[in-house]
Amino acid sequence: MMIAFILLGALTLVGGVITIAAKNAVHAALGLVGTLISVAGLFATLNASFLAATQVIVYAGAIMVLFLFVIMLLNANAPITGRDPIPFVRELAGLGGVVLAGSFVILAVSYKDPLPLAGATAALGGGSASVVGETLLTRFLLPFEAVSILLLVAIVGAVALVQRPVPQPDDVPDNEPELLAPPVGSAISRGGNQPALQHRNDEGEVRA
Amino acid sequence: MPDWLIAALITLLKAVLVALALLTAFAYMTLVERRLLARMQIRWGPNRVGPMGLLQPLADAIKSIFKEDLQVTMADKLVYTLAPILAIGMALTAFGGIPAGPAGSLFGADPWVYNLDAGILALLALTSMGVYGIFLGGWASGSKYPILGGLRSSAQMISYELGMGLSVLGTLMLIGSTNFRVIVEWQALQGWTILFQVFAFALFLVSSFAEVNRTPFDLPEAEQEIVAGYLTEYTAIKWALFQMAEYVNMMTASALMATLFFGGYRGPVFLDGLIPGISSWPIIWLVVKIGFFLFLFIWVRATLPRLRYDQLMRFGWKLLLPLALGNTMLVAFYLAFLRPSGLGLWFLGLLSLAALLGLFVMGDRVRGLWSAPAVPKVPVKTTRPVGGD
Repeated sequence: MMIAFILLGALTLVGGVITIAAKNAVHAALGLVGTLISVAGLFATLNASFLAATQVIVYAGAIMVLFLFVIMLLNANAPITGRDPIPFVRELAGLGGVVLAGSFVILAVSYKDPLPLAGATAALGGGSASVVGETLLTRFLLPFEAVSILLLVAIVGAVALVQRPVPQPDDVPDNEPELLAPPVGSAISRGGNQPALQHRNDEGEVRA
Repeated sequence: MPDWLIAALITLLKAVLVALALLTAFAYMTLVERRLLARMQIRWGPNRVGPMGLLQPLADAIKSIFKEDLQVTMADKLVYTLAPILAIGMALTAFGGIPAGPAGSLFGADPWVYNLDAGILALLALTSMGVYGIFLGGWASGSKYPILGGLRSSAQMISYELGMGLSVLGTLMLIGSTNFRVIVEWQALQGWTILFQVFAFALFLVSSFAEVNRTPFDLPEAEQEIVAGYLTEYTAIKWALFQMAEYVNMMTASALMATLFFGGYRGPVFLDGLIPGISSWPIIWLVVKIGFFLFLFIWVRATLPRLRYDQLMRFGWKLLLPLALGNTMLVAFYLAFLRPSGLGLWFLGLLSLAALLGLFVMGDRVRGLWSAPAVPKVPVKTTRPVGGD
């Protein structure tokens, strides 16, 4: 288990490095997928099988697929060149990274078990879904519901963003008679009720 | 040898055997499928290589191994090779978790490769990783139609994963475990889950057809629209690996249906009167049930036309997902209020059957609720055009 833990930790780091170092956005996303799966493996070695499975299903299976989806849809996998639009962004990012790393070091040094190890292991119950669910829906009910409201707000926001504007009447009637035989497809773009193929002259006359 | 080494070797042996069995089954599945489709369409199908065409899979395998492995110039070399391997790897790994018999029944060994407490969750996780194979294969081909196929497939699989997971949820709540063995043993005591969860099974069946990209949901490879989708630029053995992954996924889906709803590796108990102990023989019952569902997959392929893409999306999100949620609520309601008041499982079965029948009867009438495309109405002003003819 210890060896597996160390190997998975190394893989997590390698995936992270690929994520920030890769030129191609898809490769970077794949590195992130590797990191997430390795983290799931870390959970599994820590006897939290439910958490591991959820990590893979949610992050690697759904969220990263959406990431890649967007990257491919927008064809954003070309390497970005040129200057950063935000001034001092690298320096700020470096500073933030140092602060974060420092706080993690302090956390690691000053860490104290909230429960004795034996009690914590018993409370974990093998990391099964029932124990996790019970804790989540009793002791942490309020944060849990708050997160779901947050997600709901995000969904509503996304729907509002992609909503097409309501079409405004432009004083041009949609069922305007065609003066000339239209090129194929133009009748569709006019939004007329008649499909293009059924469009014909009422008088049955032939027009050049 | 130390004990752990022996255990590891046995597990390795079992894993290799399962992989070999699945790949052989895949090879013959292609033959069976072609013969059955031919029979349903009143023609012969492959019957030249060997008696009744039985050597056809061998010929196909030799052909695809020795065919030239072409690669498009624009392809992303690494990902292009990785994608089929990922697809087949995840497909094979997912199958290993399904138990094929009671503990210790396979010559003293356990008839499964690995057994996790989070059994079905782990399986769903692994199959959801299978999306990457198709998706990355489509992208890495560096060509137009494959990327369209890849995008379609990822959207489709994400959408139907939800319906699939939610439709299983009722069963899991009823049984109270995610471990496959517990699920099977519960059914040995209480009766097959299909009796109580026929509605959930119908939803699960439809979602798994969509998850494994089979007709009527084989949009990722719709020939008329996008050539062969993500497979367009693949040749030879890489193409065959993708095909393998699809068929292995089909077998996994069949095994999942058998395990979750049809009693898994246990056979019917009344046969014990004829041959004692036959209902707990390993492997055979699971294989029989898988075979039945594979036949169903082929049958549906011969019967139904393919959906249009917008129909597929509406069906998944507006019909399947709410119904699966409703089923979950139904089971939760039963567990919370009806069971404590002494109503047996038969009542849940009745409710579930009523829901399914209601869906069949009402299906045509309420179609407008989920199947009408949402196009906003434009207010029409009827004025004569200026000028005129």
